[in-house]
Amino acid sequence: MNIVLIFLITIFSVSLFFYGKSKTKTISIKDNIKLNALPKFYGYYLVLWCSIPALVFLLVWSLFEPIIIKSIIIETAANQGAIFSDKNEANLIYEKIKAIHLGTYFGDIDSILRESALAYAKFINLFTNSKVVLIFAIIIASVIYSLKKIKNNNKARDDVEVILKGLLFVSSLIAILTTLGIIFSLLFESIKFFSVINIFDYLFGTNWSPQRAFVRDASSITAAEFEELKDAFGFIPLIAGTSFIAFIAMLVAVPIGLFSGIYMAEYASIKVRRISKPIIEILAGIPTVVYGFFAALTVGPFFRQVGENLGLTVSSESALAAGLIMGIMIIPYVSSLSDDVINSVPQSLRDGSYAVGATKSETIKQVVIPAALPGIIGSVLLAVSRAIGETMIVVMAAGLAANLTINPLESTTTITTQIVMILVGDQEFDSPKTQSAFALGLTLFIATLILNYIAQRAVKKYREKYD
Amino acid sequence: MSNVKIKSKNLNVYYGDKQALFDVNLDLNEKEVTALIGPSGCGKSTFIRCINRMNDVIDICKVTGNIEMDGININDKDLDVVSLRERVGMVFQKPNPFPKSIYDNISYGPKIHGKGETKSELDQIVENSLKKSALWEEVKDRLEEPGTSLSGGQQQRLCIARAISVNPEVILMDEPCSALDPIATAKIEELIDELKKTYTIVIVTHSMAQAVRVSQKTGFFHLGKLIEVGKTEKIFKNPDNKMTQDYITGRFG
Repeated sequence: MNIVLIFLITIFSVSLFFYGKSKTKTISIKDNIKLNALPKFYGYYLVLWCSIPALVFLLVWSLFEPIIIKSIIIETAANQGAIFSDKNEANLIYEKIKAIHLGTYFGDIDSILRESALAYAKFINLFTNSKVVLIFAIIIASVIYSLKKIKNNNKARDDVEVILKGLLFVSSLIAILTTLGIIFSLLFESIKFFSVINIFDYLFGTNWSPQRAFVRDASSITAAEFEELKDAFGFIPLIAGTSFIAFIAMLVAVPIGLFSGIYMAEYASIKVRRISKPIIEILAGIPTVVYGFFAALTVGPFFRQVGENLGLTVSSESALAAGLIMGIMIIPYVSSLSDDVINSVPQSLRDGSYAVGATKSETIKQVVIPAALPGIIGSVLLAVSRAIGETMIVVMAAGLAANLTINPLESTTTITTQIVMILVGDQEFDSPKTQSAFALGLTLFIATLILNYIAQRAVKKYREKYD
Repeated sequence: MSNVKIKSKNLNVYYGDKQALFDVNLDLNEKEVTALIGPSGCGKSTFIRCINRMNDVIDICKVTGNIEMDGININDKDLDVVSLRERVGMVFQKPNPFPKSIYDNISYGPKIHGKGETKSELDQIVENSLKKSALWEEVKDRLEEPGTSLSGGQQQRLCIARAISVNPEVILMDEPCSALDPIATAKIEELIDELKKTYTIVIVTHSMAQAVRVSQKTGFFHLGKLIEVGKTEKIFKNPDNKMTQDYITGRFG
């Protein structure tokens, strides 16, 4: 139904565009007046007035219709004599009624349900009809209004600009609200988690074993269980593992990426650049899961072999293998971005340096890199957040056990990996185990935020502005 | 008549297939200002960029012929470009201070060439260079501020100070005043007058008046050829060539 309506609104708007355009043309010719805008703006004006109010109404209606119908139906069912003790049972009855209406319910149907289903059908009909009527009323009203405006030769260009500005504003508002929504959903679930687990036990605990938390309901925890739970959610091993693997990855990615960026920007001939830059960027297009099995099946066992030959114990899933492969994955980000920022340093600065007799490498080291530093730091930070957020490689190559270790040859785990581990399979939504995933997400988010803030401050402080 | 410092012989420059300079023979006298004039794209800048081998930076650029400085061909492939540029400084069209402090802008050159090993020696070089470029009084209390925070005219004098800091023999100036207002330009011209006591100066300019004011010798370029060269007075009062006459009287260019 909605699709048909949207289709009708679109067709109607488009035809109004041509109508408005030709109408204003004839007005201007017939009455010999100078229009306040080009005819096409009058067309746009009609289109916007015809479509936006109707579409907004449709959206709002579709959001609220199910909620209103549901409350009405549940009330009707209650009046019919249906008995439910809490919200869940009410929901169940409502779903049954809906299924009966759609003909997909195969259980026993008693009189209460049948009556309610009939009422449901009645309301659905009523709502749909009134929706259609109201939409057409809105369209007619707004079209009459805008046609009248047009006949009075309004400043259609300015009005269109205002409406478009409003549309753009709404778009950015949606982006911001979505972000806020995500943050708040993280926050609320985390608060539930922290009502069971002390936040300090979480932040400073050194033991992570959420599988122990098989209690269903926070309220039914016994004292003994609580003691057990208390030290099952220690965050330290996870943040240590995350930082450790990210650190190894950066050790690989930053020097190689930066140096290859410098080579591409300063030394490579146009021909070499044209061939090698896309090749490096292909690295960024390889799915991370491919890197993951490369790390798990090739690099990990290789390290173990080498380690055995040297007489070291190397776990087949090691932080080293995961970090190394992650670093390789990140190289193109650092390389490509630093190449771009180095390229954007003006040639005049290089000329100035050459003119006092500096060599190419002196110029790069002392003039070009400092001038490009904010951009380079930016690219490194992007790489760091990539490394922290990366999941697949770690799941496959670094292991799942939360070891608190600084030995790169042992297996370790990261925050993102644990979130995956917690949320795969069937979940009880109110168990602390599940909620801990939200707490982890929130902590990760805050950590990244702090990192970004520090970096921005650093960039501001050390930037050498060249324009 | 002073000594000839730099002598170009049959100098040809090519950018890819395009020839930018044709058999230029030009003598530059020591401790004198030589002005190069001519319409845009005539090869003036290309010529001075040959003197400190800045054209090396451009991949497709090829230079043939000789440029002798104190009798030594500086267009020789085996010549050490770094020490050449130490002897031949350059100031560019648009002021291009490094995004560093005023102090670092000037100490950059000396440090690279290993001059001024102690802090006090370096301080002395910075102070002298700034004094010679008539900037010292304006910036002596804020040497740690970025060079880019100065005004356009000050930036250009900073760039001159940077060129002076390595104690060169020749200073090349590529339209040094084209981005500056008349007052800043007057200051730079005054400075050039002062600097010519110590340095050999070559200045490319689009302003005829400026050429008259600052130079002793003038060369007129057109379409990559050196049309006429002589004492500035003569070139502007009584040129031999009809084309020079037309250019300086504003009939083309």
